[in-house]
Amino acid sequence: MEKKSGQFSGGRTYRNEEITVYWKPTACVHASYCYRELIEVFDPGRRPWVDMKAAPVERIIEVVDMCPTEALSWKWNDEAKNRGVGPEHTNHVKFRRPELMGPGAEDETERPVSVKVLIDGPVLIKGNFSMKYGGNEKNITEGVISLCRCGKSDKMPFCDGRHHKTGFNG
Amino acid sequence: MAGTTKPVLMVNNQVMEDNKEKDPQAKLELTDSGPMKIKGKFILNDYKREKVEMPEEVTLCMCGKSLRMPYCDDSHEK
Repeated sequence: MEKKSGQFSGGRTYRNEEITVYWKPTACVHASYCYRELIEVFDPGRRPWVDMKAAPVERIIEVVDMCPTEALSWKWNDEAKNRGVGPEHTNHVKFRRPELMGPGAEDETERPVSVKVLIDGPVLIKGNFSMKYGGNEKNITEGVISLCRCGKSDKMPFCDGRHHKTGFNG
Repeated sequence: MAGTTKPVLMVNNQVMEDNKEKDPQAKLELTDSGPMKIKGKFILNDYKREKVEMPEEVTLCMCGKSLRMPYCDDSHEK
């Protein structure tokens, strides 16, 4: 029988008959879309925490695409189907594998920066921006950062997930 | 205190790369216990209040105390 979970450099994989989901824990910024939207599949309190049979494939894809970082990404097991995947699927592995991209891919560095204020959570910044903090200024291209809005993080200015425990409302 | 250590920008335990080749679309300015200023080309999407805006400049609350979320109302000074 085929294995349902496995490993890749930087994380684990979970698969069902149709798709494989990649989990890269170091990229997680605690935006919490996965388990807020689909606890049946993504349950941090369970081992393994991903159950690929607990929801229809379309729904799993939809929730993986919500992940604002590359902590979660997905691909079809049928490699030919991966080439036709469009940009609406932000977390398809294609966008991290140039060989699967067609010609004329858009230059992301010209797009407006995305600033997402999450419900009772951090602010996520994605795109090409500069950041000034404590006398340091850095330019970040194609970066994603998650900044604390509750004032309680131990990893300031970044979010460390504390807002869940402190009951931040904002 | 013997000198101040320069804070290093870290994301997920990795030092962020500093890329000077492309001009940034927006600029973030953070302070230790105050708000964050964002200027430039950006889209502000506020999920709680279901608002999407494209202002030229915004000052966001980062202390958790504002009564005018997500914006700063100077509550951090109290």
